[in-house]
Amino acid sequence: MTRAPTLRTDYAVSASGSAPAPNVPQRIGRLLWLPMLTMALMAFPIGLALGVVRARIIDAGADAQLVAAIGNFGTAAMFVGFASVFAAISFAIARILGVIRIGGGALQEAAGTAIQTLRMPSTAKAFLGLMMMAMMALVAAVIGHVIVGIGLASGELALAIGEQWAIWLEGARRVGVATYLLAISLGLAAIVVVLRFQITRLRELPAERG
Amino acid sequence: MSTNLTTLSRASSFPQGGAGLARLGVGLAAGGVMLAVVSMVNSLIAGSEVAAGNDAAVPAMLAWGFGVATAAFATAKLGVAVVLWGIVGRVRARVEAMGEAMPRLVAPSREDASVSSGVIRTPFGAATVSSEAPPELLIHRVSRLLWAPMIAMGVMAVYAGLILSVLQSGSMASDAVAGRALGAWVQGLQFLGEGLLLGGISFLLGTILASLRAGGAEVQARLGRAVHTLRMPLTAKLFIGLMALGMMVEMAQFGLYAYASTLAADPSFATLSAWLGPLREFGLGLLLSGIVLALATIARVLGFQFHRVTGLIDRAPHSNEVKS
Repeated sequence: MTRAPTLRTDYAVSASGSAPAPNVPQRIGRLLWLPMLTMALMAFPIGLALGVVRARIIDAGADAQLVAAIGNFGTAAMFVGFASVFAAISFAIARILGVIRIGGGALQEAAGTAIQTLRMPSTAKAFLGLMMMAMMALVAAVIGHVIVGIGLASGELALAIGEQWAIWLEGARRVGVATYLLAISLGLAAIVVVLRFQITRLRELPAERG
Repeated sequence: MSTNLTTLSRASSFPQGGAGLARLGVGLAAGGVMLAVVSMVNSLIAGSEVAAGNDAAVPAMLAWGFGVATAAFATAKLGVAVVLWGIVGRVRARVEAMGEAMPRLVAPSREDASVSSGVIRTPFGAATVSSEAPPELLIHRVSRLLWAPMIAMGVMAVYAGLILSVLQSGSMASDAVAGRALGAWVQGLQFLGEGLLLGGISFLLGTILASLRAGGAEVQARLGRAVHTLRMPLTAKLFIGLMALGMMVEMAQFGLYAYASTLAADPSFATLSAWLGPLREFGLGLLLSGIVLALATIARVLGFQFHRVTGLIDRAPHSNEVKS
């Protein structure tokens, strides 16, 4: 029989009668980490192959407009890969947080004590927000590169304008990647917080069980 | 499904102790974002110069912009590594807490550890059963030894590349060939550094896996129970393969950029540069893919550990474990 929850001041927790289910981001993490990784593993070789094609046509003395267009398509493919692999890392972190949440609840349930679950820490909320912002920046940059590539290949975009946009998009990509890394560091910091709570809770269980 | 009954008081989301490393890591990553913003502003100005037809200053701007951007990524990755270091400490503290709590929580023993051995199937994969803690795996020993030197070498390579990029920026206007040669060194060195940093992060994840394995076995052995240890999952094997492949690609691109620097005056330099750029990014992609698999392995190992611990506390053993 589950006992009444003990009031605590050191952590923000929820008390429940049974082991908690994963929350929405954790469920999404469990579902999507592998598809995202698969997408990344497909995009990286495509980006590399487009780089080799570009090298070949430079060697053959092809039109500079076509070389620039393929350069943009190659960058787009490579950054589909990076956006996907960073998403996969983020989802894998969410999955770890989910395992700790469910496992911690199951452990308390097995011990017959009150089941306390840490509420989502601010680091986890910041992780989710920044991850979405970084993902949008990278996806926008990829779309931008595809549009510039199509414009250059069709001749509707002048070479100088294409180059200008490629340089601008490069800047956006760089901020997107760095923001993704910041989001990942916050996600990992959330794991530190959750583990700390679990350590505290583990030490309480024997006394609570009586 | 959980039913929230009571919401209790709120506290700081950063714990004391391990909090220091987590805060430092997040601060470093935020510093990386700031450097990336500097690089973006430089890109915006350089792009506008191209549009205005003032091409002369653009190569120099792009040269140092590249150096700063790569240093930004390295700084953010260093932040990630610092937070992971904090997790290693938390995992060890968790083992101690479990070692203290478990003797007072487990049901009376029905297992005879000395006669238990073999392989069982669990919902998390095959696990070995032994009477003592299993020996440390080679990859775990290597991980513990190498994560710090790799991260240190990675940071040094990236920041040495940043200095070279500033020198390259200065020489672009006066001597374009020397500038191109220096640019090849910058790209090769900085991406070798990025590869080393990701390799160091991979080894830190390997260290976390080592701590989970050793800690889980230690807790079970201290209780006098059969030691259940998850066998290396497929994700862990693929992680090692991708990490090794990614490191080899990064070392190869460094060698090829060094060779390209000798061809700076030759038309073949442009051809070589056209595929070396994607190659160096491909190598980083492999390393990052390996990191995803390492994190997936950590999730699996944690799930197995909770399964085993609740099995020890519960009155009845898990019915879904099959001895083979």
